Amino acid sequence: MTVAENTFENLRLELRRGCLTLAVLAQLRQEHYGYTLRKELAERGLEIDESTLYPLLRRLETQGLLASQWREEDKRNKRFYRLSPEGEQILARLLDEWNSINASVSRILEAETAPNSQAR
Amino acid sequence: MELLDRYLQAVRKYLPLRRQDDIIAELRANMESQIEDRESELGRSLTQGEFDDFLRKIGHPMVVASRYQPQQYLIGPTMFPMYLYVLRIAMLWVFIICMIVAAVVTPLTEGTGGAVVAAVFRTPGILIQTAAWITLVFAAFEFARTRYPNICPQIDGLNKSWNPSTLPPLEKEALREGKPRSFAQAVAEIIFSVLFLGWVLLIPHYPFLLLGPGVVFLKTSPYQLASVWWTFFGWIVALGIMQIVAKCIDLARGTWERRSRIQQIVFKIVGLIPVLVLLAAPGHIYVSLKNPAVDQAQFGQNLAQVNNAIHLGFSVICAIVVLQLAFDLGKWVSEAYRRREAAF
Repeated sequence: MTVAENTFENLRLELRRGCLTLAVLAQLRQEHYGYTLRKELAERGLEIDESTLYPLLRRLETQGLLASQWREEDKRNKRFYRLSPEGEQILARLLDEWNSINASVSRILEAETAPNSQAR
Repeated sequence: MELLDRYLQAVRKYLPLRRQDDIIAELRANMESQIEDRESELGRSLTQGEFDDFLRKIGHPMVVASRYQPQQYLIGPTMFPMYLYVLRIAMLWVFIICMIVAAVVTPLTEGTGGAVVAAVFRTPGILIQTAAWITLVFAAFEFARTRYPNICPQIDGLNKSWNPSTLPPLEKEALREGKPRSFAQAVAEIIFSVLFLGWVLLIPHYPFLLLGPGVVFLKTSPYQLASVWWTFFGWIVALGIMQIVAKCIDLARGTWERRSRIQQIVFKIVGLIPVLVLLAAPGHIYVSLKNPAVDQAQFGQNLAQVNNAIHLGFSVICAIVVLQLAFDLGKWVSEAYRRREAAF
């Protein structure tokens, strides 16, 4: 891997890290266990490794943003996660932040492309 | 499924003891669901190769388990700059203290060359121990800060109480490097250097130029200077000539405004030679008796004390010059590195 590729990979991971947390919290407005959550996210275009997702769920639960319970489903015990009341508040604030950043970046990108289109 | 059990057993070994069962149970449920899904898609059980691929994709047991660890680094990014600063300051001071001990204290207390060499060789070990202790303290603080953020809010406190008006004034590049010398100054320096050298060369013939009225005492006293002073004198003259030649070359090349850092460092290194010559004087004898057979009994003890005092004085001078040289070298290397970084 070249230095440029390595830099890109680090920045990409950094960018993804926050987005994944937001996506997981948003998806857990409905109850899921680890595997189905991963499948749901993948179906919506967000692939996430098992080794990233499952520890992330644990961490979010430790922070009080998720609530979990063991329950039997299809003759197997599974741990189901759901957004906690505190998690709902944090998610709302994070979404505001996300929308604000997204809008700002869009405006910056538009401002970058506007002079070029005018020149043409 | 035996392979799955073996895999989970391997993961368990690297997990935090308290949460092993819970994490393994959850991991097993998720993995079994995933395998079931895959098998229902294929309409058959997974082959050994497919199972291997599945586990390989999830990752090495140690890597998978490491993601469940609460703290991933010894000293985090918030603490690291402070750690590096403290480490650098501590290492510098420990090095200085070790050098003073090796160059001054050890010769006085033990008085052998072997003891000095041993003291110098002890320095890396002491530096490593210091670095280890500082790292340990910072790692412990980082651990406490991460685990108990309510008890350890010091970093935020430091950040909030910081006052920008306490920042040191701006250093100007020109002030740091000194005022450039004018042509007249450069010429005057050469003239005074030549006069100084002439004065030095006249001292052996007219000692009163150095000692003044004290020359009478030297003539009447039972003491005389040892031959090592002639070697010292030769080096002082050679250094004087070298400096005059370098200044003349600077003047001829038009580079008199600023003396190059390399030239300054070379002069400092060469300037150490006369001091080292004196330190290496045989038996540390700088002053001897004119008639030892007659005066030894009366002045012998005083003579030993005088010689020891002179040796101690030059040891201290040598230590100071070495430290200054090390500081200049460090400064030069760091400036060269900064300039190189700025160029990119």
